[in-house]
Amino acid sequence: MKVVPSRSSEWVNPVTSQQPASAIIEIDRVSQVFQTSARKDHVALSDISLTIEEGAFVSILGPSGCGKSTLLYIVGGFVNPTSGAVRMKGQAITGPGPDRGPVFQEFALFPWKTVLGNVMYGPRQQRVRAAEAEAQSRALIEMVGLKGYENFYPKELSGGMKQRVALARTLAYHPEVLLMDEPFGALDAHTRTRLQNDLLNIWERDRKTVLFVTHSVDEAVFLSDKVVMMSKSPGRIREVIDIDLPRPRRRNELLLDPRYQKYVVDIERMFDEVDETGSAS
Amino acid sequence: MTSPSALARRAAPMFACIGLLAVWQVASLALKNDSFPTAIEAIRAIPDILGDKESLINILASLRRMAIGFGIAVLVSIPLGLLMGRSRAVAAFFNPLLMVIYPVPKAALMPIIMLWLGVGDITKTLVIFLGVSLPVIYHSFEGAKAVEEKMLWSGAAMGLSPLQRLIRIVLPAALPEILTGCRTGLVLALITMITSEMIARQSGAGNILFNALDMGQYDTVYAMIIIVGAMGICLDAVFERVRARLVRWSEPQFDMPLSFS
Ligand SMILES: Nc1ncnc2c1ncn2[C@@H]1O[C@H](COP(=O)(O)OP(=O)(O)OP(=O)(O)O)[C@@H](O)[C@H]1O
Ligand SMILES: [Mg+2]
Repeated sequence: MKVVPSRSSEWVNPVTSQQPASAIIEIDRVSQVFQTSARKDHVALSDISLTIEEGAFVSILGPSGCGKSTLLYIVGGFVNPTSGAVRMKGQAITGPGPDRGPVFQEFALFPWKTVLGNVMYGPRQQRVRAAEAEAQSRALIEMVGLKGYENFYPKELSGGMKQRVALARTLAYHPEVLLMDEPFGALDAHTRTRLQNDLLNIWERDRKTVLFVTHSVDEAVFLSDKVVMMSKSPGRIREVIDIDLPRPRRRNELLLDPRYQKYVVDIERMFDEVDETGSAS
Repeated sequence: MTSPSALARRAAPMFACIGLLAVWQVASLALKNDSFPTAIEAIRAIPDILGDKESLINILASLRRMAIGFGIAVLVSIPLGLLMGRSRAVAAFFNPLLMVIYPVPKAALMPIIMLWLGVGDITKTLVIFLGVSLPVIYHSFEGAKAVEEKMLWSGAAMGLSPLQRLIRIVLPAALPEILTGCRTGLVLALITMITSEMIARQSGAGNILFNALDMGQYDTVYAMIIIVGAMGICLDAVFERVRARLVRWSEPQFDMPLSFS
């Protein structure tokens, strides 16, 4: 990938960004079957195979209930797949670890900790000195636009604010792979756009690998190198679309770019098909 | 801060006490029964009891047993309840045991325990321990079970070991529920303290009360009831302050007042 000069170019590490991309996560024929309360088997994921390259931004799109979260949990090591395997850098994933940082759809903040306490939790766990962890955490809190809220408890925050704390909390311990489950779902359009830009800036700076679940086609196209379209019952990969748009991406430029518009229109049409027909066809 | 409704809320407990004493006074005067002294007579007997060194030592001994029984019960029950809440195997092992012990009034075990351990402090403390344990275990169990899975996952992703997750996530997350159990446990500690001293008469606040009853000193009996009641109110008030401080982060943000005005 070419390094395009930009306001964040001084942050781009030329060594990592010019290396040939190598697979960091390999999802190998993963299926997940749940026993529902009605004692029937429910196939949430069927035979999912996907390779994610190091430093890639990959979005998963699909109708509600198609197993996006479940797939993310499996990559996170929180759930063991019924069959198949996931490897990270060639090693089989057997459980959660600080190399993969989740941002959950439900935030899952620690309610007994303040905003600062939540964000500092990961660095402190990794034995970063308190003063240093605090400085880094304060910077992250400012970045997600919550300066002044450091000493608020989660119950004192709005849904969108909680989501931003959850993002900062995960970024704080520098996981190699970010697993984000609709991290901007609870945000208003304005904050959403801002955080998308911030996420892109962070990503362009340190090229973390991101697996990003979303409902929004715009968002997926805007952010991703690859969009994985899933279909429902059972959850399958319907199509993987490479998003071949230059980086760094600027929203105002991209919105006017016909290539961007074509991606959005095409993927939206595909989404409609998937939503109507499921995996049956 | 000091709106009329806040003032009313502050003064309400005092009005309740005064009201209760007034009803007692009137009822006693109306019944004219020797074994039912008036509130004023009972209150007059309080300084005699608290001024008497022997009684004071007895009451303090009671409180000491209660504190020890309560303390040990809390220290044992919280970890046990949390483990039960997070491990099906531990829960499956202890649940039947607890179900057997639960419905048995702990004081009813006194005579049996007395046969083994005598009528001394150990027996009484053990009974208090048993009385406090069950609600604390139960609430710790329920609290631990209700901890949001994703919170534990977040901890695991940060590298917390299972034991660290139990101590640093399950414990604080379940704390509001645990403290509810402890509060019930505290009241039960007081109850079992008195009943244990009723059965194993030897010393203690319960002993003073029931001895006075045997000897027909009814004003002392009622004075003791007031003292025990006051102890309960004070302990509960202190505990409630500590609790509110520890779990401020979980208190509901807005009340939905039942407004009468
Ligand atoms: N623990 C579980 N037990 C039984 N079924 C489950 C469980 N978790 C998920 N499922 C089922 O698996 C399917 C996929 O769920 P999942 O949460 O992964 O969907 P999703 O794509 O993330 O949906 P959304 O976009 O609404 O978040 C759903 O049909 C759901 O009912
Ligand atoms: Mg989901």
